[in-house]
Amino acid sequence: MLGLGYRREMADWDLTALGADFIEVAPENWLRRDRQRLHDWRALGKPVTLHGVSLNLGGTGPIDVAFVRAVGQLMDELDCPLYSDHLAASGDAHQLHDLFPIPFTRDEALRVADRIAQVQDLLGRRMAIENPTWYTNIGPIPEPEFLSAVVERADCHVLLDLNNLAVNFKNHGLITPQDFVARVDPARLRCLHVAGHEFDARFGLHVDTHSAAVEPDTAALAAQLAAQHGLPLLLERDHDIPEPDTLEQELTWLRSMTTCAA
Amino acid sequence: MAAFHDYVRGLTDTVPEGYAEPGMRLYRHLVYLGASQTVEAHFPELREQLGEEAWDTLMRAFVRDSQWTSPYLGDLAHDFRTFLARAAEGT
Repeated sequence: MLGLGYRREMADWDLTALGADFIEVAPENWLRRDRQRLHDWRALGKPVTLHGVSLNLGGTGPIDVAFVRAVGQLMDELDCPLYSDHLAASGDAHQLHDLFPIPFTRDEALRVADRIAQVQDLLGRRMAIENPTWYTNIGPIPEPEFLSAVVERADCHVLLDLNNLAVNFKNHGLITPQDFVARVDPARLRCLHVAGHEFDARFGLHVDTHSAAVEPDTAALAAQLAAQHGLPLLLERDHDIPEPDTLEQELTWLRSMTTCAA
Repeated sequence: MAAFHDYVRGLTDTVPEGYAEPGMRLYRHLVYLGASQTVEAHFPELREQLGEEAWDTLMRAFVRDSQWTSPYLGDLAHDFRTFLARAAEGT
């Protein structure tokens, strides 16, 4: 299963011709909008998955119960097999609309896991959390162990973003994507993300822009995991969206690599 | 985490203990960019009318004093109107 992160720029595109088996959308973008486009896609028998950006699992403000309930209703409406959000904070007590690092400490792992459990109780089903890109963080626990601690306590699923692993390794040099993957329980995995990133000389950091093609090493690791564990693989492209042909080529490339790895 | 977000908001230029300055600057930049682009999308002529410097000052103040709570990014337009109304009362 190969998916594409749906953007409003793709409103007129023939996504089936592009080679997407499923699409992923941000619930924040659709809860208050006409959803005919999504229902048309569902009518083709193809799944929609939800990938949120503002749940604020790592923040200190209360979980937005009305929002979570609305997400649950949207999952029912579209028969979504998956809802994910990031293992990150969206702000302090308030929303700042970005993804901020959660300190890699035991206390934070427990605190955030309990917030995830609260969301899952509200939804009446499990959600997946995505390993985020982070640009600076504190705390003594290595990231894969932090992720595992959260996931085990919350009893939730994982959406593993291979591009984020690559960006974090380039920026911090702490753990290679391969070593990270080896330390994640495959039974927890539900979906894989790939995307591209760019170096920003103003900060001396690689930034998770989703504005470029996927790097070959990232695609190869994702394809191998997808084939090995039968996982859906999704391509994210959020900025500098190219012509449909270019994304079709990239999806075909990913599918070929996954087929070869099987 | 208050020190982290104070820096991101631009309330302080003191890098919180243990964090790296480039990463903190990047987070501040990303929040500013998100707010600036969203407000601009809702008020397309405002940036041109204000000019770069005044726009920058306004956006910095908008982020610094923000009390956004909505999970919907589009609600920033409403928050921006509220921010302007509050600022007008204060002057």
